[in-house]
Amino acid sequence: MAKSLFNDDTVGKIGAERDAWHKECYGRYREMPKKFETLSGFAVKPLYTPEDLASMDYLRDLGFPGLEPYIRGVHPTMYRGRTWTHRQLAGFGPPEETNKRYKFLLKQGATGINGVFDYPTLRGYDSDDPDAEADVGRGGVSIDSIEDMSILFDGIPIEEVSVSLVTCQPICNISVQSMYFANAINRGVSLERLAGTSQNDFLMETAVTIAPGVLPPAASFKLSCDAIEFCSRFAPRWNPVSFAGYNYREAGCTAPQEVAFVIANAIACSEEMLHRGLEFDGFAPRLSFFLSAHNDFFEEIAKYRAARRVYSKIIQKRFGPKDPRSRMFRFHVQTAGVALTAQQPLNNITRAAYHAMAAVLGGAQSVHVDAYDEALCVPTELSSLTALRTQQILQSETGVTNTVDPLGGSYFLESLTNAMEAEIDTILEAIEGMGGVVKAAEKGWIHEEISAAAYQYQLAVESGGMPIVGVNCHQIEDEKLPIELFSIPETLGIQKKKLRQLRKRRNAGEVKKALDSVSRCCERNENLMELLVDTVKVCATEGEISKAMKRVYGVWDPPLF
Amino acid sequence: MEKKIRILIARLGMDAHWRGSIVVAKALRDAGMEIIYGGNQNPENIVRMAIQEDVDIIGLSSLSGNHLELAPKVVKLLKKEKAGDIKVIFGGTVAPDDIPKLKKAGIVEVFGPGSSLKKIIESVERIAAGPAV
Repeated sequence: MAKSLFNDDTVGKIGAERDAWHKECYGRYREMPKKFETLSGFAVKPLYTPEDLASMDYLRDLGFPGLEPYIRGVHPTMYRGRTWTHRQLAGFGPPEETNKRYKFLLKQGATGINGVFDYPTLRGYDSDDPDAEADVGRGGVSIDSIEDMSILFDGIPIEEVSVSLVTCQPICNISVQSMYFANAINRGVSLERLAGTSQNDFLMETAVTIAPGVLPPAASFKLSCDAIEFCSRFAPRWNPVSFAGYNYREAGCTAPQEVAFVIANAIACSEEMLHRGLEFDGFAPRLSFFLSAHNDFFEEIAKYRAARRVYSKIIQKRFGPKDPRSRMFRFHVQTAGVALTAQQPLNNITRAAYHAMAAVLGGAQSVHVDAYDEALCVPTELSSLTALRTQQILQSETGVTNTVDPLGGSYFLESLTNAMEAEIDTILEAIEGMGGVVKAAEKGWIHEEISAAAYQYQLAVESGGMPIVGVNCHQIEDEKLPIELFSIPETLGIQKKKLRQLRKRRNAGEVKKALDSVSRCCERNENLMELLVDTVKVCATEGEISKAMKRVYGVWDPPLF
Repeated sequence: MEKKIRILIARLGMDAHWRGSIVVAKALRDAGMEIIYGGNQNPENIVRMAIQEDVDIIGLSSLSGNHLELAPKVVKLLKKEKAGDIKVIFGGTVAPDDIPKLKKAGIVEVFGPGSSLKKIIESVERIAAGPAV
């Protein structure tokens, strides 16, 4: 029997008094002529009271951190026990250069590595592919072979530092994660000891960063699941997928869509793993999530809290796990890149600090803070350091870590969390109605939803209803850029030279045999990662492996517009 | 009836960001133009599509930083194919110093981060109405 937070009598009295207050007190003043709503469109009232939480049962709906429904946090002590991981994203140019940046960030107190790859690597192309050349080293580090991976992590204690590989698309992840694992084995570090995460999200390939000629959704999903299966058997400390809601949000979707899409994705992967004969509790605790921290402070906090409760409930209902960790929604947060402005770029330090605080008040497990120059270029050493310091200031100076879920119980926040949860549930039902997230991606529905929301957002900015400082208000005319921009070091020549030498040096017969076995493995529908951890050791390149897979799977031209 | 402006929107190279290009495509469509959305393409394909579709303008988008290498190529190839009357505009992440470089290479208009849809629509209408070279 549910026990309400407030009894009917109390709520009735508060309601009557609030009515009177609203008429006689609040009503005597004028409001600003604007719509009071969150960024994702939830209406916001002038004041919240116990009436808004009247039907809530504390033990059922809120409870305690480390216990279901986990809304107050996945861990009992949260930041009193250990801090969130300060995981700053880095990657540009050739691996030799990014290696230096990793070492710089670790020396400055970063507690994890977050490695991002260049566009050709993310799409499964080698640096010397004519279509790739103009983007080599851009947006991330270029990786063509296991030798690049060895350079990237040279001198970094991979048996101690947790490493996140931002291998967004499964076609990239299956090769690049295999290279990371094979390199660890070469260094004498067993897979059981490796801690880290790979992004490996099939929606990234088929709904979010879509392009003509990508893998078909079912194939991309299969590759993603191969990595999950492999890790559950051989790399138990590795999170083999990080459902990339952050990127869905960056592309334009709303907060509840962001959470609904990642949960739908996790459900689909779980069902596939069960279908492959795995125990739910054997893989589910390692499913991890990646969310954005956008501009609307309370909405974001409500989003993280709602995500934990929705996930816990839905996993319990669908899969009935025995291990409580299988129900925990653990997530990394990146502050919203899309909220940064090229105008008056130093203002971005302030924006990212608010975003990061929302992430921490929402109970994130790890955080990346964007650098102030990211609307213009890849971060400089100074801007990355400032971003890392933003985390350190938040942790050490503000006192937000002193208690668990400090905003729990706020009339407004709990009410917004409930509204967020209801909306997430509605979207999840819609996806379920389409036959699940793979079907929804195949229909182009996810992409359509995201792009429609992106357009609505921009129309709101244009109408002036969404002020952006420096862009549509408080502009500086003829602004002189107050910062130095980063330019990417020479990459293409270096990568092409290494590839030329590699192709000459390696055993061509062995490589051909290895690539044939990749195609055969696809035909037989066997687990590719098991094969690739060996295949990459003979120095087959990422592009060659992708081509061997595409020979069997074909390519897909997704509905783009 | 006045002929509708036809515009090809394409993303340069392997850049992964489509948000800007699709939002702009939707806005131009809602402003009454005919849109051909090409997605990611190399310069050769962009020019081929533009000629095939008989467009007035090509809108290029990139946030990856490949613009100085690929956008001028599109202009050059258009001239080579005797389709220099097709105007090329660009939107995306560009350092302020790159804007004059792109314009010198024949890109008629450059829209950096934070550009308004209204300004983009007006520019496209103005460019399309301009005298053919």
